[in-house]
Amino acid sequence: MNAPSTSLQSVCDRAFADISEARKSFTPRLIPHEVGTITSVATGIANVSGLPGAGFEEVLRFPGDVYGIAFNVDPDEIGVVLLGDYWQLHAGDEVQRRGHVMDVPVGDELIGRVVNPLGRPLDGNGPVNTSGRLPIERPAAPIMDRAPVTVPLQTGLTVIDALIPIGLGQRELILGDRQTGKTAIAVDTILNQRGKNLLCVYCAIGQRASAVAKTVANLREKGAMDYTIVVVAEGNDPPGLTYIAPYAATSIAEHFMEAGRDVLIVYDDLTQHARAYRELSLLLRRPPGREAFPGDIFFIHSRLLERATHLSDERGGGSLTALPIIETEAQDIAAYIPTNLISITDGQIYLSPSLFELGVLPAVDVGKSVSRVGGKAQRAAYRAVAGDLKLAYAQFEELETFARFGARLDEGTRKNIEHGRRIRACLKQPEFAPVSVPAQIAVLLALTTGLFDPVPLDRMPEAEHAVQEAAANTPAEVGARFDTAAKLNDEDRKTILEIARKALAPFQPKPEAKKKS
Amino acid sequence: MKISKEARRFARELFTLSLTNGRLDAGKVSDLADQLVAERPRGYAQILREYTRLARLELERRHAIVDSAVPLDEAHVSSLRSDLASKFGDDLTIEFRTNPALIGGLRIQVGSDVWDGTVSNRLHLLSQQL
Repeated sequence: MNAPSTSLQSVCDRAFADISEARKSFTPRLIPHEVGTITSVATGIANVSGLPGAGFEEVLRFPGDVYGIAFNVDPDEIGVVLLGDYWQLHAGDEVQRRGHVMDVPVGDELIGRVVNPLGRPLDGNGPVNTSGRLPIERPAAPIMDRAPVTVPLQTGLTVIDALIPIGLGQRELILGDRQTGKTAIAVDTILNQRGKNLLCVYCAIGQRASAVAKTVANLREKGAMDYTIVVVAEGNDPPGLTYIAPYAATSIAEHFMEAGRDVLIVYDDLTQHARAYRELSLLLRRPPGREAFPGDIFFIHSRLLERATHLSDERGGGSLTALPIIETEAQDIAAYIPTNLISITDGQIYLSPSLFELGVLPAVDVGKSVSRVGGKAQRAAYRAVAGDLKLAYAQFEELETFARFGARLDEGTRKNIEHGRRIRACLKQPEFAPVSVPAQIAVLLALTTGLFDPVPLDRMPEAEHAVQEAAANTPAEVGARFDTAAKLNDEDRKTILEIARKALAPFQPKPEAKKKS
Repeated sequence: MKISKEARRFARELFTLSLTNGRLDAGKVSDLADQLVAERPRGYAQILREYTRLARLELERRHAIVDSAVPLDEAHVSSLRSDLASKFGDDLTIEFRTNPALIGGLRIQVGSDVWDGTVSNRLHLLSQQL
């Protein structure tokens, strides 16, 4: 009984000591400030009169600790985007200028936390005590401070690492219809960064709270929260909060990039962001354009994604890799927002619902996916196999349609199709199961040299797994050359193939069966 | 209600005409308003509404509100009047209000500018520091 009362006493003493310390250091000063008056409040926006000195994007404070951003600054009236519970606001309420633009807390204390775009915690783990703050809208790095994309970012997904490689500092769009596994690719990429000294920021924009909770639970369960920050604007948050979410998340990530670290940021998804901005723009009576989006819809995304880059060594050499996600409707990748994002980013990963229905997961449509800068960053070992693999897979996709009709095929075509089927089997991968670089290279080398071709299709998952497990025995000096060597030498190639051959031996058909065919 | 650009421009011109040495002239305002109603140019209702709004905003800029927790005595009122008049000019209208929620001190608002020296504001600032 004594112990709890002593500890309670010490807690109280500490709290009162803090309060008296703050009181002593507090010197009241009479600083004039400007106030205005709310003239009208609507869903997510308010109009304010007065405040002649308010600037564009300045933060305004409303009663009840609700904040807003000045969006339309006219001489007589200001259109404000509200960032909190606006239902308690009334016309006639007083509004204060804060004298600065919107900012967000940044720092190491945020790692492992789930916060909203204002930096307030949502995970119930107490306040976030960071020392620094950064404005949410910041200019992108100037050209001279940028370095080319040269270092690969391993997603742990064979199909992406081999065929659509991503480099640090790249912007790679993930797009596809609903329920095609867009988030899964992003989450798998985050999971694969465990122990790789790469920080991740996952920005959920306007998603269902249950979907966000599921993603956070997955990240936590797999131990990815140790190096991840989650910034969440839920579907029921005001549109203003949804709108600022990706900018706030980028500022949080930039802080680490400028400290010389490598950061990965996922925007899930920018379709919701564009919708939130359209909502705000229409409410603020800005003229609507195509699909009722305002005229600057391209600019809001380009200025966001331009902030992702690889900094030069003089600027610390940090990088910010962005994986924006876009949801298409009825596979229409030529719609307004998808085409905007495709032109802004350095490539796209398209997820096809038809592949998804066939059970090919991840459902990456290799033909429609591209990486414009990642190829230069790709490891030499991948580059050695990627060309053949892409060609063989493209041929297979062409021929597969013929084969479906049961047409009689010549020996060469049949072989191509069988080879293609094995490529597809090897590119399939379950969720939350990232594959290491040596395992991927061993499988891909075995695949391109045709080692998998005699393996029956129904035993492919087992065979692939056996090769992956055997790849763990790759000699350390060969493994080290995966990262450094300009080209995979023949000796290394032989070593890897020998390992794969041994692992595949139990899956080969019996010799007499081979003779017959 | 939406106001056309022409009406807005016309109202601004009228407003500029009703100033004498940068201050709103009551005589000029009533003369101009009478003339506008008599002549009834196109969209005169809109012009009049915008003109009234501009005049009201200008009057608010020249209006001071002094809030205190308890009613101020005569000596305080007169010293405040003379101080405000020396700072903002003689034509400033002053309104004194009482609000016990302020606990103590004064809050003076002139147009959009506020000087808040009340105890409640200081407590609020202190709580923000914690």
